[in-house]
Amino acid sequence: MLKQLFPVRHVIGYIASLVLSAAALAVIYGDFSPAANIAILVVTALIQASLQLFLFMHIGESADTKKELYINIAYALFVGLVTIFGTLFIFVWGWYK
Amino acid sequence: MKVDTSKPLEYATQENNNRIFGFWVFLGAEIVLFATLFTVFFVLVNRFAGGPSGSELFEIGPVLIETFLLLTSSFTIGLAVHAMRHQYKRAMLVFFGLTLLMGLGFLGIEIAEFVTYVHEGATLQTSAFLSSLFVLLGTHGAHVTFGLLWGAAIMIQLMRRGINPATANKSFIFSLYWHFLDVVWIFIFSFVYLKGLM
Repeated sequence: MLKQLFPVRHVIGYIASLVLSAAALAVIYGDFSPAANIAILVVTALIQASLQLFLFMHIGESADTKKELYINIAYALFVGLVTIFGTLFIFVWGWYK
Repeated sequence: MKVDTSKPLEYATQENNNRIFGFWVFLGAEIVLFATLFTVFFVLVNRFAGGPSGSELFEIGPVLIETFLLLTSSFTIGLAVHAMRHQYKRAMLVFFGLTLLMGLGFLGIEIAEFVTYVHEGATLQTSAFLSSLFVLLGTHGAHVTFGLLWGAAIMIQLMRRGINPATANKSFIFSLYWHFLDVVWIFIFSFVYLKGLM
């Protein structure tokens, strides 16, 4: 019963996300360069987001719409990333100079 | 309606499949919504206009509690869906209720944080940095608030009607929404709070 209520995969995913959140604190309490700090944040956040997407949201589960679903989310991420980095490119990183 | 018993209840009919797929399409739009809000924040993050900066304003304690609550609630809604697939109605309702309680706790701390910020002179009108901060956090918080009301309505239906293809479908879609809010919070935690305190 206990094993059916707390499936191992979910428990591992939960512990992993807590550990990754704690690891991200290294950017405050650790002594790394700013570039290394950003790398730590990007890596821990992306792993955590993937954990949610694949483990908890079962994105790969529905057989008949799996492909369309991946394309939809990939396209949304593409538009989002272009919005973020395209804007940073022009307004923050001074590409126009 | 044709019920396919080989699949989990939430996928058992064609309509259920369509609803789940449609919700993923909605989540795609939500990704873009939050991407634009993050964009605005990243562009304006250094425009303090004489007001406080992130490192002066943010405190890590409450933010860690918020993160812990939301991560744990994302775990418990996953457990609720898992219990639902085993037809454990009681366990499902307990996990569902815990999820909403932790969501409420998260919201309480976030509102207390906002009140603290405003008392320190950091309002929506103070600077471009704070406008973008409040809009980003507020949009996420509004989603959590809506999720609490929506989740409570689904819980009432579950209590009255039990686990059937319709309520299972709604519960599963709610779990997608809740996990998505957790993903957004991970990025707020990392790139708003931790980066601000760096």
